Formats: sequence, structure tokens, C-alpha cells
Amino acid sequence: MLIFFTKFYNFFFLIITFFYNLFPKKARPILLLLVSLVFFYLMSSKLIICLFSTITSIYLSTILMGKLDEKKNELLDGKSSEEKKQIKKIYNRKKKIVLIACILLNFSFLFLFKYLKFFTINSNHLLNLLNINYQFSVLKIIAPIGISFYTLQALSYLFDVYYGKISADKNYLRVALFISFFPQIVEGPMARYSDTAEDLYKGNDITYANFTSGMQRILWGLFKKMIIADRLNILVKMVFSGYAVYSGPICFIGALGYTIMLYMNFSSTMDIVIGIGEILGVKIPENFRQPFFSKSISEFWTRWHISLGLWFRDYIYYPISLSKTMKKLTINSRKIVGNYFGPLISGTIALFAVWSLNGLWHGAGWTFIMFGMYHFVMIFTGNLFEPLIRKTFVKFNLDRENIYYRIFRSIKTSFLVIIGELIFRAPSVKVALVMLKKVFTDFNIKISEMSSLGLDILDYIILFVALVLVLIVGILREKNISIRQEIGKMNIIVRWAIFYIMIFVILIFGAYGIGYQPVGPMYADF
Amino acid sequence: MNKIIEILEELKPGVDYKNTENLIDGRYLDSLTILSLVSELEEEFDIEIPTVEIIPDNFNSVEKINSLIEKLKED
Repeated sequence: MLIFFTKFYNFFFLIITFFYNLFPKKARPILLLLVSLVFFYLMSSKLIICLFSTITSIYLSTILMGKLDEKKNELLDGKSSEEKKQIKKIYNRKKKIVLIACILLNFSFLFLFKYLKFFTINSNHLLNLLNINYQFSVLKIIAPIGISFYTLQALSYLFDVYYGKISADKNYLRVALFISFFPQIVEGPMARYSDTAEDLYKGNDITYANFTSGMQRILWGLFKKMIIADRLNILVKMVFSGYAVYSGPICFIGALGYTIMLYMNFSSTMDIVIGIGEILGVKIPENFRQPFFSKSISEFWTRWHISLGLWFRDYIYYPISLSKTMKKLTINSRKIVGNYFGPLISGTIALFAVWSLNGLWHGAGWTFIMFGMYHFVMIFTGNLFEPLIRKTFVKFNLDRENIYYRIFRSIKTSFLVIIGELIFRAPSVKVALVMLKKVFTDFNIKISEMSSLGLDILDYIILFVALVLVLIVGILREKNISIRQEIGKMNIIVRWAIFYIMIFVILIFGAYGIGYQPVGPMYADF
Repeated sequence: MNKIIEILEELKPGVDYKNTENLIDGRYLDSLTILSLVSELEEEFDIEIPTVEIIPDNFNSVEKINSLIEKLKED
């Protein structure tokens, strides 16, 4: 499956970059769509019907919503304000029915492919516990590639049309391309319609500037993936499969390694996707912004998997916390518990919904639910103690923006994230708890264990140097310095020397070949 | 405008609301303050602020908040 994925991906990417400019402008979006559909078919064969159902249901629902809006506006003309209210009420309700029907249809696919097995297994456990002699048969279904990503991306378009943020697009091809564009469909980023749909359809020429800039971004992605992520994969596998024999510090190193690997792997895929976008003249939104510089867990989620965080914020957090009931709750509770804790109640209810869904979105398993709840508790606790911390700083006349305190906060946040990722990666809740217990109670580090993790001293040196480079690039980006622009300004010889060094470094130090197993597209199964 | 400043002052004092133009981007107002602000504005101005309008661009300055209110009043 993995080899398939890599081969197809590269193959399609090459086809597009070689032949794109030869096609007439108008035919280019069709080429992109066809390539995307063939890619999807090769990955998920007949399940392409699910993708078609999503595209078509979203397309028809948005068109219908548009028609309902047109009809409503026609009827509103020259009516009294009372009549207008009535008309709006009727048509808004009709729109809501269309919205809910479309959401239900698309969630039913998600449920069938992602959650049915989990629910059947757990229902069977429950029946056993209740001594009921009946068991549901567990269906073994393979999900269509990227279903969690394309469903949410498609739904964001549906919501945006529903809320009147954008108008319904009558062009089926444009909608289909927006939902199924192959680089994004596997692991995102989940773009909004206003971000990419128009540009993807334009079919702009691949220019020399775009091509080189996109390739540089892809090269950086390959560096992070092949030098760091694929190398760390060995260590992570060792620790998480042999956790029972390892000490606490090694379990923590495993979780730390996994966190770095996840970041390097996921963000490198994003570099490749955004790089392909750049080549085609399409600005695909960023999905990471130096997350490990975050001062709190809530800030971390505005810098890590940004498109998912924004999705939950816009379509779950605000709609819940700003629903009529919650607004009343906010106003009333503010009068009783004050400005800070007043909105915290509705905010926390919405936060709970967000993190329950976020956990489930990542996968149908108790570890993912635990991962979601862990984040909910962390963010809620942070919110709860914020006024106290603020007061303490004012009382003792301390500067919260002090560089040392900021570094301390980033380290603290990273530690909390690593613990979260340990839960996320553990094969079961039981294993997660055993490992956590070790991390917090067993501090006996044995140096000999480090050499039993599948990596030799050279691997550790390469990892260290590569991570320092990633850190420097991160600091520069944090300071709004674009490295690619800076390299672009350099003398042609220096510039190309840098690229060649980069390519050779990847070829020489990349973790591939005998003894290494590349990390798969980790998020593709979610 | 003054009423908006009054509400903001009550919710989170100590910010120069008249002259600040990056209330959201500069992290002067966090998401919890926004929840209170939206509820208060709705009650005060008898409007309904749809969630799509809750974007930094609409809340970055008092002037922007005012134009949002004016726009919603017209609807």
C-alpha cells in the first residue's frame, strides 16, 4: 500500500509538471481532475463512488441553498418588516433542512467506514457484560483514502454557502476539483473554497519562478522526512512495541521521538503539497507555524494542523458557544461570576464538544478519545488558572514576556504535547497508562538502553544536526525571515551549491534502504 | 461608537480602544472575551451576529466593530 502510494504520487506529480503547460488553459483543470480521480481510483478502487457521492451531494445541496436564497430575496421585495421576518424564517428553515440532510449523508459514509467497526466491537463488549447472548458481526471495511480530510473540506464549503459567506458555485468541475485535488486529498491541508477553488480552476502556466520555488519547498520537505522522520521511525517502533522492558526515561524518549517524527512527517507532507500548489500557481494554506514555540496548549493548536483547528473553531466552537442558549448563559453568568468566568462556561461546553470530536476524528479508538479529553482538560485548566497566574505576575511585578519565562512556557507546552502524543501513539489505553506511569515514576535511566533502540551513534549525530537546522529555520521563520527568499538573492553559484548540497545530503544521509522503513502517510488513515 | 468602547472597557479594561487597530491580531481580545462581546453587542444593538462574521477583520478595531453593527442593522 505504502509503495503504491509513493509510486503513484510521484508518477502523477511528474505527469502534471511535464505536460501541464502543453495543455490548453481550459483543459488544465480537467487534466488535474482526471489525474486526481485516477489517483483516487488506484488507491481506493470502487470506493471512488463515495467521493462522487460527496461531491455530488455537496454540489446539489449548495445549488439548492443558492436557489432558496434567490427565491427568498425575490419574495422579500416590497414586504413589511413583519412579513420579511416570516419569509426569512421559512426559507432559513428550508436551507437548514438541506444542510442537515447533506451533513447526515456525508457523516453516514464516515461512520460506516471509520466508526462502525469500533461501535460494533464495543457494543459486543457491552452485550457480554450484560450477559446477553448476542453478538453483532464485525464488518471489515477499508476506508476510502483521505475520507476524513475530503469530507471535512467538502463540508466547509457547504457551511460557507449555508452561512452566506460565499455563493454556491454552479460549475460542477470546479467543485469536484476543489474536493478531490490529489495532493491535498491524502492528508490535507483542508483548504476553504475561497482559498483554492478559483486558482485550481484557472490553469495558470507553470512558470520558472513558481517551479523552482515549489521544488525548493518540496526539497525541504524531503529533507525533514527522509533524514529525520524515517530515521526516528525505528526508535519509535522499538520503544512502543517493547515498552514493557524499557525504563521511564526511555518511554519518554520514545514519546519525544514520536512527537518529532509526527511533526517532521506531517509537516514534510505539507511542504510537498504546498510546493506542488506553488508549482501550479495555487496558494494552499499553511498547516504548521512553528508549533513548538507555543506558550500554551491552546496556542499550540493554532500552530499545529492549523486547518483542522480552524475547521473546529469555525464550524463547531463558535456555532455552539454562540448559539442562542449559550449567549443567554454567557450574559447571565457574566453578571454572577464576572467578565472572565462568565463566558468560560459556554466556552468550556463548546471546547468539550470540539475535543470529543477532534479525538474521534483522529480515529475510532479509546486512545484517540483519551487524547481528545487530555487536551480538553489541559486547555480548560489553563483557562481556569489564567486570572490567578496573571494576578500573581502583577503582584510580584514580574514580566510575563520575559524571554526566559517564554522559553520555559514553550518547554512546558512541548512537554504536555509529548505526553498527549504518547497517548495518541500507544496501541491501547492500557499501554498508554503503563507508559505514563513509567514516565512519571520510574526515573532509572540505563545508558545501555539507548544503544538498544535500533539507532547507532551516527544516526544520533545526523538527527541532532538535522534538528538543529530545522530549529534555526524555525527561529528565522518566527522572525518573519523567508529563507527561500534569502537564498534566492544569493549569487547563482552559491544558490545552486546550496541546492546540490541539500540533494546530496538527502541522498547520503536519508534513512532508506536496508534496515530502514519509511514512515507512511500517517494521517492518511484518519 | 462610544457605546462599543463602553462595553469593551467593561469587558476588558486597560486597552486604548480608540486607537488600537489590531485588537484580535495583537491578542488584546481573546476568544472568551469575544464570546462576551458578541452577546453584549447583540443585546445592546438588537442584532444577530452570525458566526461567519466572527473573523479578526470585523473585530480588530472599534470602527470595524461599528461598521459590522451598521451592516447587520441594515439586513
